[in-house]
Amino acid sequence: MMDVLRVVDIKKNFGGVNAVDGFAMVQAKDEITGIIGPNGAGKTTVFNLITGVYPVDFGKIWFGDRDITALPSHRITALGIARTFQNIRLFRNLTVLENLKIAYGIRIRYTLWEEMVRYPTVGRSEKEGEDLAKNYLSYFGLEKYAGSFPYNLPYGLQRRLELARALMASPKLLLLDEPGAGLNPREIRQLMETILHIQTDNHLSIIVVEHHMELVMAICTTIHVLNFGKKIAQGKPEEIQHNDAVLQAYLGDKV
Amino acid sequence: MAFYLKVLEITCLQTIFVLGAYLMTGLTGLFSLGQGGFVLIGAYTAAVAYLKFHLAFPVAIALAILVGSVVGFLIGIPTLRLHRDYFLLVTFGFGEMVRAALLHLAQLTGGALGIAGIPQLVGLPMILISIAVITFFIANLKRSRFGRNCIAIRDDELAASLMGIHVYGYKMRVFVLSSAITSYGGALYAFVLMFIEPNLFNWLESAKLIVITFVGGINSITGAIISSVIYYSFGEFFRFIDVWRDVLLAVAVLLVTIFRSQGIFGSWEFSLRRILRRRTKAT
Repeated sequence: MMDVLRVVDIKKNFGGVNAVDGFAMVQAKDEITGIIGPNGAGKTTVFNLITGVYPVDFGKIWFGDRDITALPSHRITALGIARTFQNIRLFRNLTVLENLKIAYGIRIRYTLWEEMVRYPTVGRSEKEGEDLAKNYLSYFGLEKYAGSFPYNLPYGLQRRLELARALMASPKLLLLDEPGAGLNPREIRQLMETILHIQTDNHLSIIVVEHHMELVMAICTTIHVLNFGKKIAQGKPEEIQHNDAVLQAYLGDKV
Repeated sequence: MAFYLKVLEITCLQTIFVLGAYLMTGLTGLFSLGQGGFVLIGAYTAAVAYLKFHLAFPVAIALAILVGSVVGFLIGIPTLRLHRDYFLLVTFGFGEMVRAALLHLAQLTGGALGIAGIPQLVGLPMILISIAVITFFIANLKRSRFGRNCIAIRDDELAASLMGIHVYGYKMRVFVLSSAITSYGGALYAFVLMFIEPNLFNWLESAKLIVITFVGGINSITGAIISSVIYYSFGEFFRFIDVWRDVLLAVAVLLVTIFRSQGIFGSWEFSLRRILRRRTKAT
């Protein structure tokens, strides 16, 4: 079976600091993988390198059988990688519904001229996008906020909205950057169920960067542990829990 | 009466320029002080084509749009990669450069003396129809993918590109479209004023277009049009209070920015369909 994503020995240096120093991973289809590590370990940088936010200094990234190492972000997204952000990044001047329709844009086929004169195709395509967006809104319990602006929503709902927006692009691979940040224990449990649901419903492959161990251990089949840009461990959740290097990185040396 | 008609024509022409600025600054968040450059390019291209090369009037207008768009494209290639403040500075430089170039290319442009003797071929009906058509285009763009993507770029470029939006490509389309609209307005301007000179539209005038867009509400085409009409007609009809009208307008702008930071109209849009729907509901 073809692997969804193959990251081969990527490196990134920021002004002398090796943010990512030779990271490699393979993402199997329909699996949930976790990336954990202390603050500043380079987890988000890995996401930024995969999605083309920064150019990679060294190494290769393959999405299926395509080399996406040097592609710009918008092309990578169009190929089928969607992501959420550690610090929520919704579009403040677009309504909740429009925020979802933004991600649907890559699937729209009408041209600029057709838009300008409002061809019938435009209305039809807009309707399709709107119907899909409404589906996702009700799936995430956000339907009554369709017309509001995103930053008027409570924090937990903004997180859900980001997730819904990422799904609108119908990606093959979903990258979740600390989806549980700032959520309370009850919301974390809800989030776990949601992630598992969307994985099975959409046949998605998911990579999660997360600090909540409970969440990572519960939903991930494979976990990669990063520290100072290097991978210090990889394995199943129960293996990671008893790994000495991991315990050392998180808690310090044994006395 | 003729005076008031002229005032009305000029006011409406300014509205075309404001619509061009709305597309850039209001919708996409690109602050350009170079709109004046495109007004001048449009006006001079049309006037020179008509008077010196004896092209037909519609051809001269079309040529003005073409030249404006091509210049917009060429200026856009390097500048649209720049960040906000740098983009502002470069477009400022561009606008002033066009003005200086027109002053010095005296053989073609008449230099500081300008070009006189342009026939008045454009009247109020043509200007109003133009506004209607341009508004129709922009309103359609605003309520489909193009407009949404532009607003997304204005709000957060990085997030926009991760939603699959080609940010640079979109900025380019906006810039060229806005240049085309502005040069078209400039071309009409020449045939309304009957006399053009390089100081017709300097960077201060370009800055006013941005201010008007903001006062009207950056999320509202309706706001841009109405505040433009009020601003320019106010300026003409209140000439008797002299410098005080600038003071008055400045105070108005200040009050709006302090108390209504989203602009007078916020994101409200005039909608014929909504009015009709309400009618049918009432009966």
